Amino acid sequence: MEASEVSIELYVLLSAILFIMGAMGVLLRRNAILIFMSVELMLNAANLALAAFARQWGNGDGHVMVFFVMTVAAAEVAVGLAIIISIFRQRPTTNVDDINLLKG
Amino acid sequence: MFVFLVSGAICLGGALGVVLFRNTVHNALSLVATLFGVAVLFIAQEAYFLAAIQVIVYAGAIMVLFLFVIMLLGAERVLPEAQPRFRWLTPAAVILALVFLATTSVAIIKGEIDLTQPQLDEPMVRVVNALDGVAAVDVYLDETQVADQVAFGEASSFEDWDTGRYQARIFEAGADPESDPPLAEYPVNLVADVALSLTAIGTAQDPDLVTVTEDLGQINDKDELRVLAVNALQGRMAIDVVNDTDAGNRRVLAENVPYGTASEIIEIEKATYAIGVYPTGSSRTRLMGIEDEELDADTSVLWVFTEQRQADSSYRNAVINLETDVRPKFGSPEHVGQLLFSRYVLPFEMVSLLLLAAMIGAIVLTHDRRGPRRRLVRRLANVPASLEQPAPGQTGD
Repeated sequence: MEASEVSIELYVLLSAILFIMGAMGVLLRRNAILIFMSVELMLNAANLALAAFARQWGNGDGHVMVFFVMTVAAAEVAVGLAIIISIFRQRPTTNVDDINLLKG
Repeated sequence: MFVFLVSGAICLGGALGVVLFRNTVHNALSLVATLFGVAVLFIAQEAYFLAAIQVIVYAGAIMVLFLFVIMLLGAERVLPEAQPRFRWLTPAAVILALVFLATTSVAIIKGEIDLTQPQLDEPMVRVVNALDGVAAVDVYLDETQVADQVAFGEASSFEDWDTGRYQARIFEAGADPESDPPLAEYPVNLVADVALSLTAIGTAQDPDLVTVTEDLGQINDKDELRVLAVNALQGRMAIDVVNDTDAGNRRVLAENVPYGTASEIIEIEKATYAIGVYPTGSSRTRLMGIEDEELDADTSVLWVFTEQRQADSSYRNAVINLETDVRPKFGSPEHVGQLLFSRYVLPFEMVSLLLLAAMIGAIVLTHDRRGPRRRLVRRLANVPASLEQPAPGQTGD
């Protein structure tokens, strides 16, 4: 298969770059929905590395782990977007800096 | 390499779009591109099941949820990005990211981690009893019992075993391995990835042990299965195993198999077969056979042809027919499912509970408790209007 020519280092490097981009999104953007999307990006980067290592070792455990990560991501998105909606009802903004109701 | 470059570029472009675009809908669409690229990379790494899940769950369900919320909240309006509360955050984040990237790159490229050795599956062992004259057998590898009370014509199920050299010993069922002499013993060498059938053959006076190695690896051709035969006939002649399904076109599956050996493994198509066993060189005297045997694809079939002495000193032919599923293809739904329902049952159940909790949590969080109050507010708003309306009329009078 063609993919076997690509060494695992390239996959892991791509995964690292994607992860960093996700982290930058979380740190730099102030939109709560966008922060969630960046977290999804980071989870996907981790999934890519897991799948690459699973292929390298011929071991299915990595695939199961990716499956769990996806499930957790789905749960996280459901709850996270619900939180964003209920915040939006209180105060019509998605900017995380404006959400300071707990501030004394 | 081409696939990797193209889908990698799509991933990176999508990721850049997620971080840089100002419009939230554009961000979401870029994220879809990234997820799609990752799905292609999954396929390139033989993670077919994950690729399907990625498209269905991520690009399908999760992104629809995102877009739905964006539209619901009207967050797609392009607003001037508010100044971050902390001015130093942007340069700090960029520096941190660059440092992280440099560190991981050095670690990945210069790490010289030995990644070349693929992990092999543990060897598997089972016991097949074709030993005439003994009610049942116990089999030990060194001091550890592999199977006990295996009756004639029966087989134990495959057990995972550590690699290494062992002395396989067969005892009559119930014998004490410490003191009683074994019926037969035989050195075996267990290496990774093999499936070994310790087959006891012969008679109680002259027992023997055959180690049959089966190949449970994935079969490349669709609709095919592997078969092999063991000659345990007490007449001790060599046998031919012939496919008798079509009398006009007989095909020899295994030729000249001496007593106490296993034939070569051959791959045949799945079908309903009639198998005949003949002494080598004589196609007229059919010793025994298997009729109307339906063989499924992706299995490994072991036939042990043996005889059992009856009370009246005649011999009754017996075929031990053992069918084992081959290991599922790496990354296939069967493979992931097998792991999920064997080694990872507990995490699987916990994750399903987590999903259930998330579902209830989302309902509780978005449940609008102000529903009745809003109706009250409307009514109150209408009250002054109805009070005010007649007022101008009254002044007009």
